[in-house]
Amino acid sequence: MNDLEQRLRLSELSQLTRRHFISKCSTGLGAMWMAGMGQNAFGASSKLVKDPSHPLAPDVPHLPGKAKRVIYLHMAGAPSQHELFDYKPELEKLDGKECPKEFLEGKQFAFIQGIPKMLGPQFPFKQHGESGAWISDRLPHLATMADDICFIKSMHTDQFNHGPAQLLVHTGSQNPGAPSIGSWATYGLGSENQNLPGFIVLTSGGKNPDAGKSVWGSGYLPSVYQGVQCRSEGEPVLYLKNPEGVNRDMRRRSLDTLDRLNQKIAKETGDPETVTRIAQYEMAYRMQMHATDAFDLKQEDETTHAMYGTEPGKESFANNCLLARRLAERGVRYIQLFDWGWDSHGTGKSTSLKDGFTDLCKGIDRPIAALLKDLKRRGMLEDTLVVWGGEFGRTPMQENRGGVINKFVGRDHNPGAFTVWMAGGGVKAGTTYGETDPIGYEAIKDKVSIHELHATMLHLLGFNHEKLNFPSQGVGQRLTNITKPGTKIVKGVLA
Amino acid sequence: MPSRSVGDGVLKDQANAVRNPVDSSMGNILRFIATIALCLPCARLAADEVRFNRDIRPIFLKHCTACHGGVKEAGGISLIFRDRLLVEGESGQIPVVPGKPKASEMIKRVKSTDPDEVMPKPKHGSSLAKEEIALLEKWISEGAKWEQHWAFMPPVEVEVTDLKHKRWISSPLDRHILKGIEDAGLEPSPEAGAAEWLRRASFDLTGLPPTVEEVKFLEAEWKADGEKARKKTVDRLLASPGYGERWASVWLDLARYADTYGFEKDPHRNIWPWRDWVIRSLNADMPYDQFTIEQLAGDLLPDPTPDQILATAFQRNTQTNTEGGTDDEEYRVAAVIDRISTTWTTWQATTFGCVQCHSHPYDPIAHDEFYEFMDFYNQSEDSDLYSEFPKLKLAGEEFVKLESETRALREELDEEGRSISEVAWANMQDMILTPQYGTLEADDSGRIFSKGTLRRGVTHKVSGLAGDFDAMKISIYPDSPDPKDWPEMGVMITDFLMEKIAADGTRTTVSMAEVISDYLVGSSDPVSAFAQQPGGEKFKSFIGLGGSGAGGAGIGEYPCLTGPRWFVLLPETRVVLGEGERIEVSLKQGATANESQGTYLRKFRVEVAQDDRYAALRSNAERTEKWQRVISNRDRLAAMKGTEVPVMRDRIKGGKRDTRVFARGNRSAKEHSVKADVPDLLKKGYEGGENGNRLDLARWLVSGENPLTSRVMVNRLWGELFGIGIVESAEDFGTSGIGPSNLALLDHLALRFQGEQGWSMKKALREIVLSSTYRQASKAASTLIERDPKNQLVARGPRNRLTAEMIRDQALAVSGLLSPKMFGSPVYPPQPAGVWNSVYSGAKWKESKGEDRYRRGVYTYLKRTSGFPGFLTFDAPSRDTCSARRIVSNTPLQALVTLNDPAHIEAAAALAGRIRNRGGSIAEQLSYAYLAATQIHPDTETVAELTALYEDLKKDVHTVSANLGPDPALTLTANTILNLDAALSR
Repeated sequence: MNDLEQRLRLSELSQLTRRHFISKCSTGLGAMWMAGMGQNAFGASSKLVKDPSHPLAPDVPHLPGKAKRVIYLHMAGAPSQHELFDYKPELEKLDGKECPKEFLEGKQFAFIQGIPKMLGPQFPFKQHGESGAWISDRLPHLATMADDICFIKSMHTDQFNHGPAQLLVHTGSQNPGAPSIGSWATYGLGSENQNLPGFIVLTSGGKNPDAGKSVWGSGYLPSVYQGVQCRSEGEPVLYLKNPEGVNRDMRRRSLDTLDRLNQKIAKETGDPETVTRIAQYEMAYRMQMHATDAFDLKQEDETTHAMYGTEPGKESFANNCLLARRLAERGVRYIQLFDWGWDSHGTGKSTSLKDGFTDLCKGIDRPIAALLKDLKRRGMLEDTLVVWGGEFGRTPMQENRGGVINKFVGRDHNPGAFTVWMAGGGVKAGTTYGETDPIGYEAIKDKVSIHELHATMLHLLGFNHEKLNFPSQGVGQRLTNITKPGTKIVKGVLA
Repeated sequence: MPSRSVGDGVLKDQANAVRNPVDSSMGNILRFIATIALCLPCARLAADEVRFNRDIRPIFLKHCTACHGGVKEAGGISLIFRDRLLVEGESGQIPVVPGKPKASEMIKRVKSTDPDEVMPKPKHGSSLAKEEIALLEKWISEGAKWEQHWAFMPPVEVEVTDLKHKRWISSPLDRHILKGIEDAGLEPSPEAGAAEWLRRASFDLTGLPPTVEEVKFLEAEWKADGEKARKKTVDRLLASPGYGERWASVWLDLARYADTYGFEKDPHRNIWPWRDWVIRSLNADMPYDQFTIEQLAGDLLPDPTPDQILATAFQRNTQTNTEGGTDDEEYRVAAVIDRISTTWTTWQATTFGCVQCHSHPYDPIAHDEFYEFMDFYNQSEDSDLYSEFPKLKLAGEEFVKLESETRALREELDEEGRSISEVAWANMQDMILTPQYGTLEADDSGRIFSKGTLRRGVTHKVSGLAGDFDAMKISIYPDSPDPKDWPEMGVMITDFLMEKIAADGTRTTVSMAEVISDYLVGSSDPVSAFAQQPGGEKFKSFIGLGGSGAGGAGIGEYPCLTGPRWFVLLPETRVVLGEGERIEVSLKQGATANESQGTYLRKFRVEVAQDDRYAALRSNAERTEKWQRVISNRDRLAAMKGTEVPVMRDRIKGGKRDTRVFARGNRSAKEHSVKADVPDLLKKGYEGGENGNRLDLARWLVSGENPLTSRVMVNRLWGELFGIGIVESAEDFGTSGIGPSNLALLDHLALRFQGEQGWSMKKALREIVLSSTYRQASKAASTLIERDPKNQLVARGPRNRLTAEMIRDQALAVSGLLSPKMFGSPVYPPQPAGVWNSVYSGAKWKESKGEDRYRRGVYTYLKRTSGFPGFLTFDAPSRDTCSARRIVSNTPLQALVTLNDPAHIEAAAALAGRIRNRGGSIAEQLSYAYLAATQIHPDTETVAELTALYEDLKKDVHTVSANLGPDPALTLTANTILNLDAALSR
């Protein structure tokens, strides 16, 4: 069967399942997901109706969204705002002094004990671009893109341990079991490319995030919306490759038989699920080609590799950034990058601000700048939302684990203030939003909670965060957590 | 491939092409539904009496409860309880005056045209339809009779009459199905063939496909006497060990069973013996009431067996957070709350979790009732520790008996000491406080305060003058005087040294005899902190754990201080102080809680007393003998060998936790204290009285008077067999869930299950599987599928996709690779490299060798933060929280698993080898494989198609690769057969 025939047949199949779907509807909401659940309690108006045979078909959001897709860059471990974006000359002056009591009262720390010493910023800062954004000398390449970025300096959270804080950042709940933003986005919007997963996760730094795969889990949403972890080395998607000794022709030939026998079964049993299964096998066949192609970094030219600092075949943040662009280009809805190792406590060289932290900065600086530039030159930045951040901030005090000042220079966890930046899709470029206190310890002006960040991201994608619901535990659950009512969009960061 | 614009052009166009018709048809549907919704009440209006559940509750839910429910009670009005509606709201008006619609404020408001008066307020929603208002008026004039939601009322057996196809009935449940089918103007489907029925029954009961021989055997017997053949088969299947393995998966989803702790490091947890307990209990058909009681409270049964204690590991499948710096109390409470939710979802299908923050939004359960219920679980000893204390060592009856005897003996010793009351305790005089770090200060009453930056292992010294004394009392206080702020960070004195200091500075160590505690909790016994224990050679100085480690044996409470505590230390003999001689104690604090933080003294007191009663106690030979027994028993217990499994155990009576209501669910805003109780709504059958514990809770669930337990369980069995429960929302039977599609059937099954069937799951399943309902062919005309797409009428047999475990198990079974080995530690079948990448964890996926590679899916290692990919793709839950059903999806990633996963290829190669060894023509071989994988006798067309595939593939085979076996074309053909829809469905 040639490619054209294949496509025609596929389109027929697709129509067939659609017809089933429509006919099911007319008989009373049939096998559609969610439609029936909790209809008593919630009314049907704001609910999405999904066709289980095409759960990822592109969908239209509540409102016209400025961003069509998201690239989320998570620095797992929580990078220090004091060494990157939140410049505090006051803190410089306090360096080495004992921390005043009022900073410690009523606070809970992961490791700091008793009275620690203050720690000034470890690197010089300068203002960059027309917007005059403060960026330290650790990120020289990113600094050239300052005018495309909106820095939110006033992020805060209520979790100060990595696992729960990462869960909160990605699912709106500190406990495992709630769907991640990427799941909500693909549930709400489907995907523009049915030949690739709609929600793809890439990791670097040799580890998964602290909270494990729950941070891209689908929670109570159907499992089809969970993130698919792809790898930049080995098979990009698990089980993508045909078994050794099986080439594409052989696979095609066996799928033809599978199709014909399944059609026969479909006719005999009348089970519409069988028809869906035929379509899914065809999709899998196409995914083999499309995913392999999407993940083939060798297709990129020398200039691009130089710009990103990529080395095909290795697991690196740079490779993941370039892959993110390639996936965005192909219509993947949500691309989640995790870079592990940012937990700079100063207990060893790798967690020292002077050593490990500096290396990590080098590892992300060039690739992120390249990603923004690349998206921009392709005209994609305007409808791609890029988000960068960690799960909390770090203390303006130096860590003194067990009551003793750590060997290397490091900082403890601080939920009170951290910096997240956004760029692209509907975000006000070249701005800084919110402020922390003079030592960067607490957000004080225009504070932004994790749920407010989520509400804003959903808004940019075209959703009213209160209306993107799914019934679970007897309530229409949402990303912005029904137990935290009154969550508002951060209007100040919108273009 | 060159880069191009966003999206795949072809597919996008297709999607656009079909989106609009769908959208517009959706619009029509919604309008259609709206019309029905409006029409139904009018049809009823003329008819008989208004019924609250049918006519009024839906109006309340649709228009009112968002503001006047359990969460918001706008204007002081809640529509959840009837009595609340009959009294004045904040406006001074009475919403409902039974018999008098005109006097009822509710009617005035819904009829009002004044935008400030009308309900719902215009910005909250549209006004009520005329028909709805008329219904409300009629309801009030008829006396505003209230009905409880169906699920909270006891089940009732409904008699079914006037059936046309009476001969079709073979089991009592069939009449309820037939009634539904006939009322819909339909007929039951014809009976399935023997092979179709056998495939369905085998998977449903054992999770495995029947063998070709079993198919042929049944087909022959079926012809002779179908009923007899079926009964024999069902009994065989129910008696097979595979039964417990298949149904365990269902229970493990509810129990959120996994082989790791969860969270960051996600370390290994040895809890698989509990999984084996489930399989064994299911195979033994342990009645569901006993199954319930043993898992929720086996430890509280009189003289519990090791198995009964092991059963309680059910509630130890909660997650433990071992990340550095995490608050142990926070995650202890999270685990307690998880136990509450799991209990309510598993046994009551009621969304109890929302009551944590406020009264239930739709169901009549009050906020305080959540915390009353919490008190049952709040008494357990476990506290988010890495050690996962308390644990049961699987070392037989002897261990359990000895351990319980030892605990009782130890408590006796403390009790003897505690019975010495009204002791004249006195502060030491001229106290000198010597902090190693930070500061120590005493107030006028002699309480000592420790402040400042301390380091782990800090040793404070307190010395003073005293008269001769027999005992020293160390009292430890929380920082805050307000019990609402408790518990606080733990306090642990890990080493203790008492010295006499002569006027010339000479120091003499005072040997200690024993310690009496106000009560003992946790893994720490103060006496075990000393190198020489009571009854043995008298212990001396600095003797504890060496001052580090997280375990925290010593004097104090770990990891949290739940309130003021005291400990009395008895020196070996009366301490006699000479002229100018001082007494000094060194208090070392070397333990850390929350994985990183010191458990330092913050507020404490040191007192002494001279009292002959202590002297007598110390020299009591019987007491010394008891001490010796405690110590030697402990040595014996420690020497016994066995796997240790976390289990439930409550704190002893004197150490009960004070359970308080959390304001808006916030742990740090505690209110008044409450006592263990079940909600008033479902109080029947509860016999715990004032001092109820988990055992009372468990007995209440299975008392037979609880309206939900039996219904929820039979609904679960039904859902597993038919693909959808009678109540589709198997996790929610409350008002926010989906109503039952056939309440009479649900009640019939529930009453039979807790009645005649004596809570026997096997009996319940047997009856369903042998029914005419279950026996129908799944083949259905498109008209029937359109009419009843979810098959809730069951006018056709069920056809469901295999579960994640079944897909793997079938491939292994059909290919002959499946190992029959049962039980034991989890196994590691092949998984792609690099899937496990947890932080701070050296855990590696060590691929199993030999038969462990081919065990049933239920034995596969389950790591919470990184599930087995082949299972997750086929909708298995991550086991983070209780999961009441798996929503089946259909995605291309599933196809990739069964086509390419090396484990599936290995199975295909084995199947190819199997059929080749049978000999015969290729057509015969493939025909056999097809039958083995689907239980369908292939027709000639199918065989020809497969043969042609084989021949074509053969031409394509150019390379030999080990994984495909000696005949790659045959392996790939077998792989194709195993991917057939008929092979993936049951």
